[in-house]
Amino acid sequence: MEPHIVKGNHPVMEKIFQICDRVAPTDSTVLIQGESGTGKELVARYIHARSRRANNPFIAVNCGAIPADLLESEMFGHEKGAFTGAVAARMGLFQYANGGTIFLDEIGEMPPALQVKLLRVLQEREIRPVGADRTVRVDVRVIAATNRDLSADVKSGRFREDLFYRLQVIPITIPPLRERRSDIPLFVQYFLDKHNSQRPGQPVRISDEAMVHLWEYDWPGNVRELENLIERLVILSEDGVIRVENLPPNIRTFISDKKIPRPTLTDEGIDLNRAVEEFEYRLIDEALRRTKGNKQAAARLLGLKRTTLVAKLRRKANSSDQGCVL
Amino acid sequence: MSDALKGRILVVDDDENAVEILTRMLAREGHVSISAASGAQALETLQHENVDVILLDVMMPGMDGLEVCRKMRADERLRQIPVILLTAKDDLDTRARAMELGVSEFLTKPVNRRELFTRIDAQLHARNLSRELSATVEKVLQPDSKTEGD
Repeated sequence: MEPHIVKGNHPVMEKIFQICDRVAPTDSTVLIQGESGTGKELVARYIHARSRRANNPFIAVNCGAIPADLLESEMFGHEKGAFTGAVAARMGLFQYANGGTIFLDEIGEMPPALQVKLLRVLQEREIRPVGADRTVRVDVRVIAATNRDLSADVKSGRFREDLFYRLQVIPITIPPLRERRSDIPLFVQYFLDKHNSQRPGQPVRISDEAMVHLWEYDWPGNVRELENLIERLVILSEDGVIRVENLPPNIRTFISDKKIPRPTLTDEGIDLNRAVEEFEYRLIDEALRRTKGNKQAAARLLGLKRTTLVAKLRRKANSSDQGCVL
Repeated sequence: MSDALKGRILVVDDDENAVEILTRMLAREGHVSISAASGAQALETLQHENVDVILLDVMMPGMDGLEVCRKMRADERLRQIPVILLTAKDDLDTRARAMELGVSEFLTKPVNRRELFTRIDAQLHARNLSRELSATVEKVLQPDSKTEGD
């Protein structure tokens, strides 16, 4: 069954689904890259659902969630007595996926020894269960995904170059939500409709102001974070309207933080004088804006003498193109 | 900054001083900038210039920034160019209209330099991604594409 998926209107997403529609009927290996929560598995399911394999299994494996020493037997199965605890022969996920698609998520976490074996599977279309002296033919389409920069991992020797090129026959990179902000209102409405339909009573709606806050937020957890929030807001809504005050504090304050970002102390350190100066200039600008440029009134708002404010403005003018404001 | 994140940026503002400061800041980061002093001039410029990102002031005499966005959205060739709105007018109505018009970013003046370049970089990153995807689209649309029989 084709997954419910909201494609978005952003031109990049149009291209992604154009690629998906074209490659779905083929058996090409696809490598999907993108930050956590961008919907990589949904895209993989979409390709599977539109392929000739749609009526066969779609098996998702999180390579980062299975201990390295177990991953091989999970993927390829094992023979009885292959290792301590292998009391019976067991099929691997590749065999369960036979005729269908296997989705290898977090492929960048796969241990090097297993990378060699996966490469062999892709080349020979056969697997060798752990402890077996025979191979088993499999008909499985591989779709891999990662939130790592695999080409950088190849350069650093962490990921095999030959496997990388074998996987990325069709490369698809899904942009983070903050790079396709125009799609956010569409997603909000989609998830509102979805979660409203799962509960009785009047549908919950969102105020314009709350929608603007969601639109401007950067969504580090991407679409997954957005859906989780909408689901929670729908469940917790008391009067059927999501307002700004119902949003989490980090989203409520995001717009004001964007104007005057919180100072962050990175590992590289910070120029404290510059940061303090930046903060000072912002407040001066704000005071001048509120007082429509009246320096006397602005100085009063800031608790300064007019002459002090004028001196600060002169210093600011001298450094304005290097500093923080324009 | 990596070469991959350098762009050609159109600065639209009726305030000469703001244009000068922005142009200098953009040059220091390795970007190429061109400028327009009004909304009408910006639309005219876009008819013959290819740009990656537009830094657009909202409050300008004649055609304001939001109207420029509206006209761009109605033009198939221009609708995909990301717009970063820069404005001292940060009331809800302006923000909501910017959202409806598909604006990429909304920054309130005075604009924080770090914020501005973070947002420009994000749009240039999306541009690069779009180029990569276009190459993949071309690859998969070839009749003898390897994907067919792979």
